[in-house]
Amino acid sequence: MKRVTKVVSSDSRVGVYICHCGGNISDHVDVNAVCEKISNLDGVRTAKTNSFMCSDPGQEMIIEDLRSGEIDRVVVASCAPSLHEATFRNALSRAGVNPYLYEHANIREQVSWVHHGEAATLKAERLIAAAVAKARLLKPLDPIRIEAKRHATIIGGGIAGLKAAKDLSSRGIEVVLIEKSPFLGGWTAMLDTLAPTGEKAADLVSSLAREVLEHPLVTIHSCSQVTGFEGSVGSFRLEVQKGPSDSGVPPVKDRGIFIPFRGYLPEEDEQPCKAFVVETGVIVIATGFKPYHPKNGEYGFAEFEEVVTLPRFIRMLAERDAGEGPLSIGGKEIKNIAMIHCVGSRHIPGIHEEDESGKLNEHCSRNCCSATLHAARLVRDRFPGTHVFEFYRDIRTYGRFQEDLYSKASESNVIFLRFEPESPPVVSRNPRADGSSLKVAVNDTLTFGERVEVPADLVVLSVGMQPSDVSDLIEMMKLPVGADGFLQEIHPKLRPVELSVAGIVLAGTCQAPMDTGEASAAGSAAAVKASAILAKGYVELDPFIAEVDLEKCRGNGECVKACLRQGALYLKDFDLHGEKVRKAQVDPVLCTGCGACVAVCPENAVDIRGWTISQYEAMVEAIARES
Amino acid sequence: MKMDLIDPEFPKTLERFGAGSAFECFNCGSCVAVCPLVSGHFPRKMIRYAQLGATEKILRDAKDLWKCLHCGLCSRTCPRGADPGELILSLRRFTLDHWKRWPNV
Repeated sequence: MKRVTKVVSSDSRVGVYICHCGGNISDHVDVNAVCEKISNLDGVRTAKTNSFMCSDPGQEMIIEDLRSGEIDRVVVASCAPSLHEATFRNALSRAGVNPYLYEHANIREQVSWVHHGEAATLKAERLIAAAVAKARLLKPLDPIRIEAKRHATIIGGGIAGLKAAKDLSSRGIEVVLIEKSPFLGGWTAMLDTLAPTGEKAADLVSSLAREVLEHPLVTIHSCSQVTGFEGSVGSFRLEVQKGPSDSGVPPVKDRGIFIPFRGYLPEEDEQPCKAFVVETGVIVIATGFKPYHPKNGEYGFAEFEEVVTLPRFIRMLAERDAGEGPLSIGGKEIKNIAMIHCVGSRHIPGIHEEDESGKLNEHCSRNCCSATLHAARLVRDRFPGTHVFEFYRDIRTYGRFQEDLYSKASESNVIFLRFEPESPPVVSRNPRADGSSLKVAVNDTLTFGERVEVPADLVVLSVGMQPSDVSDLIEMMKLPVGADGFLQEIHPKLRPVELSVAGIVLAGTCQAPMDTGEASAAGSAAAVKASAILAKGYVELDPFIAEVDLEKCRGNGECVKACLRQGALYLKDFDLHGEKVRKAQVDPVLCTGCGACVAVCPENAVDIRGWTISQYEAMVEAIARES
Repeated sequence: MKMDLIDPEFPKTLERFGAGSAFECFNCGSCVAVCPLVSGHFPRKMIRYAQLGATEKILRDAKDLWKCLHCGLCSRTCPRGADPGELILSLRRFTLDHWKRWPNV
């Protein structure tokens, strides 16, 4: 470890700490030479190196130097600030020093990983010199504290949204739930019994919806959509439009009935259309999925009326009374059912055809295997005279107790045929008049790749899950979207509930295919995260926002015109020595610190705190200085 | 290639000829591994054909049925108790019943 300490007369006392990052940096940058040079810069009181600055001893070194009063501000030269800037700012706080008296130089991603030899050392030196130049001009700043409204808004009334509403309200947080349709329960309400337990979806949805409706802190707006969005974490403002009810259900007196394959009707029908505003602290996005809609002609879909999707088939089965005799379609007994897996899922580029927007669903929808096996088993149990053939690529009954579904389907003599994606089953008319109306031909890998033709009176397509169309919300709230079209969390493992937009969290199948249990768990997770945000009663944001120098400002309004965030900058009339003057004002909550205003002000009256023009100038000078 | 539809009712047809538990098979291939004939996928291939009701294929390859020594190894090894040996005998009976009614037998 190298240390160079010297005594200089300067108002600001900078400590510079250069990291080896194991050998990640020091294998390419001569850190000792850099340390030596930096120590000679004006304002630098001490310059040190360490194998790992982020380690406890590394941080302790900074804290000691700050506490002893030797230095009063810090530059760390290490990895990207996205990794450890927060770590070192916290070290300053622990030493009792304002955390904004800190500047970070990235000499790993921007230097040692991309340059080698002399050039690397030279660039590291320049970047650190620039950071020092800026650090000398840093001023203590305070984070912006925003009062967080103890109120959550949930968009979407499926299982995830309902569960989040229940958990949030039970923590004493006021909840508004906005549902587009007249019903609660989402796609769970479109199911009959759920795999693998066999519970009735209607019972689950009804009991959960009832609990939510009965809670005094929850307000439900059905037939409603978010049309406007403003504000930031702690104080969002949503415009909501309540549309005409199109439930198709005759008006009912009592709120709270479950209508099979529609959902739970939460309130009296015939609500007046209106627009209103919801002020809220956090937003839970629980907008769900939509089932894949097969293309015309895909496995005979829309070509033959005997080809249906799994959701449709589940409903057919459920709406059939036990006493009605054998399963039938169009008055004809269904003796053979062919079920085809992976329809609209696990698409492979070059094999499957893109949709109109050029998209493929390359993801596995995860639920269809279990749902298909469950339905097959129900058929075999209720209609023993009906044979079931499953055409699959791989059976993926992931999850607890779900492998049983496969064993049980096998036990009830469901016949499995396996195909490769490049030679999918072909559904066509059966020319034989005496048998089933359709036939499904496949090169069955379980029959050694031989061509097998199966007669079918009904073909069921196990359609996958696609994200619902929430392009309006994505546009309005700037929500990040993954390559698969689902909304994307910050980190799949460590921050699976949060979105990069602070104060907005994810719940359920808007994020990825999930089953009912997983969507419910996701709803609970979102509720915990949302209430954690609201728990302190306030939210702190970085203070890097625009600041107007009222002495210089002449109120010409150029900055207001250039401002990208509506309301973040505005002109306000002041009374100055009995004279009315007009000056620019910043809304600290709305301002994102982008700097568009700084660039246009003819008076140089606007600056970004922590990134002022004079700080930039000092950095540029340090980089360009003759060495 | 001539193709005929499989016969989903074949298990019922086969009842008359024996083969009680053959449809328990889950295609693991243990029977093929122990069969001393070392001939292609015998006897699993026949079991799969029977399971599917691929009667055309059974009759097409019927001669294979008479290669079986009926040593009983497969039946003793089968993890599902599907009794492949018994199925082979049943398929012989089925084939004989269709003797000369099928052009290739």
